[in-house]
Amino acid sequence: MSGAVLTRATTVPMGSSPPRRWSTRRVAGAGVLAAWAGLFWFLLVSGRDAFYLSTRTEWIVPVAAILLTAAAAGRLASARVNTPEPITARELWMLGVMVVPVVLVLAAPPATLGTFSASKRAGFAGTGFATSAGDIGSGELTLVDVAAGQTSPEGERALAARAGETVRFVGFVSIRDDTPADEILLTRYVVSCCVADATIAQVRVVNVTPGEFANDDWVEVTGAIYPLGREVIVDAGTGGVVPVERPDRPYLSA
Amino acid sequence: MAERSASHAPPRLADRITILAVGAVLIGTGLLLRFGDLERFAWVRTFFVIFGSLLVQALPFVIVGALAAALVEVFVPVGTLEKLGRLPRPLQLPAAALAGIAFPICECGSVPVARRLMLRGLMPSAAVTFMLAAPVLNPVVIASTYVAFRGRTTLWTMVAGRFLLGMVVAIAVGWVVGRRAKDELLKPRRDDPIEPLVLARPEPRWRTFFVHLGGDFLFMGRFLLLGAVIAAAIQTFLPTSALTGLGELRVIGLLAMMGLAVALSLCSESDAFVAASFVQFGPSAQLGFLVLGPMVDLKLIPLYAGSFRPGFARMVVIAASATTFVGALWIGVAFG
Repeated sequence: MSGAVLTRATTVPMGSSPPRRWSTRRVAGAGVLAAWAGLFWFLLVSGRDAFYLSTRTEWIVPVAAILLTAAAAGRLASARVNTPEPITARELWMLGVMVVPVVLVLAAPPATLGTFSASKRAGFAGTGFATSAGDIGSGELTLVDVAAGQTSPEGERALAARAGETVRFVGFVSIRDDTPADEILLTRYVVSCCVADATIAQVRVVNVTPGEFANDDWVEVTGAIYPLGREVIVDAGTGGVVPVERPDRPYLSA
Repeated sequence: MAERSASHAPPRLADRITILAVGAVLIGTGLLLRFGDLERFAWVRTFFVIFGSLLVQALPFVIVGALAAALVEVFVPVGTLEKLGRLPRPLQLPAAALAGIAFPICECGSVPVARRLMLRGLMPSAAVTFMLAAPVLNPVVIASTYVAFRGRTTLWTMVAGRFLLGMVVAIAVGWVVGRRAKDELLKPRRDDPIEPLVLARPEPRWRTFFVHLGGDFLFMGRFLLLGAVIAAAIQTFLPTSALTGLGELRVIGLLAMMGLAVALSLCSESDAFVAASFVQFGPSAQLGFLVLGPMVDLKLIPLYAGSFRPGFARMVVIAASATTFVGALWIGVAFG
């Protein structure tokens, strides 16, 4: 029997008005919808959407919050039925499972991708969309510019023309087993839609005080930039590396 | 219904103990997450972030898809879509694929819409074609592909190739579905409201609308949840560098990128940016990634399995993968 047939049979008897009662199934469903609506309102109000989405897609948070709120309210408003709709134990457990991600996001401390994931992700390659060789050749250099410049001959040439200029980048520290003691990899994720599609932008920072920073520490690096082929080095000896708070928007948007 | 009752024991109803148990598990989970210091494990933190982001991005599209599906259910009279069957047969599937252009939503939203279209009388083969084509052919996806590959010599190979191959693959899968009836494809929904069929006046439309809106969201959401768990686990532990060494071999590279598309389970509106980052791979492999990913991935397969009868997901996986493989390889050789 198809769902449609059952659904179209959702009726109320003609000429009589039996007492309506609450459908526990619909009320429970409304509760789950309300929980998800609450999560999206929380993300919107707290700004925590920046921990999951890029600026391109953050518009979906208010849209989802409004739609889910309307869906929850509508489901609750239609939860008085003529015939009983009890909920089975299995259905209740299933609805409970659907609330687990809401609990996860609300209860767990806010976290971001860090060094662990950096080794498993592809490098950013964005000459086509985030920036162009012209952008790289003038104005303030960003980590996105640098990362994009490493993936095309035009970008490499534009970057090479900026050798010796002072740059200032914010990112987290990444130290591999083979990283020399006086170096760190300054890393930042670049996100197109959501964190699942994150790619990395990374530069090597030299002349760092050994042992001063650990993996996942957020720092601001100031120094002279030296593009060497497809690698970019920032000499912190001419500037410095200072610890900073994690930015409100920890991911760069492409 | 009678069959179901005869073959299964009546399901146990939720009682107060069940309600308390569910509440206790949720509260316990919250306390564990808050005070258990699980974040000290880097892989746990990474898993939570990716899992959360997959859901935060995908669920809004599921509710939009459920909204569209509920509108179809409430406002499209039964039989209206059957008129499309009067089109000459060679035009039916291409028309269904091109209808996807008008539906700018990613793959999670197209499943409930296709299911509802099928229930309202659209030919199952056309509904499946629409379901697979919409996430690839819609203007937002094509625009994002253009932006991601702008400045590359392969720009138009990727943009036109994605559009055309996406349409061909969707039509091919629709063709494989053939003349199967909707009852042969759709899985009955146990959680649909079941009320006696009596001579009566129908419920007001707004009530029916909200019942379907919430029902579709809750139904699809649970399968999306399962898919997000699997996809997040794979993203947490699978280094993409494990596959990038295969990029120089055209056929192996194509298979690797198709496998990666399935594993990563990216939204079709963002996957072009990730495909563009795999500069080690040629246009065939990147095209395979872009065409197959929106049709078959680890978060979609549970959605298919939950919405359709056993075997449907397997059929889509095989037909879409084979067509994508051949098409992407040909385009790569001819235009790459």
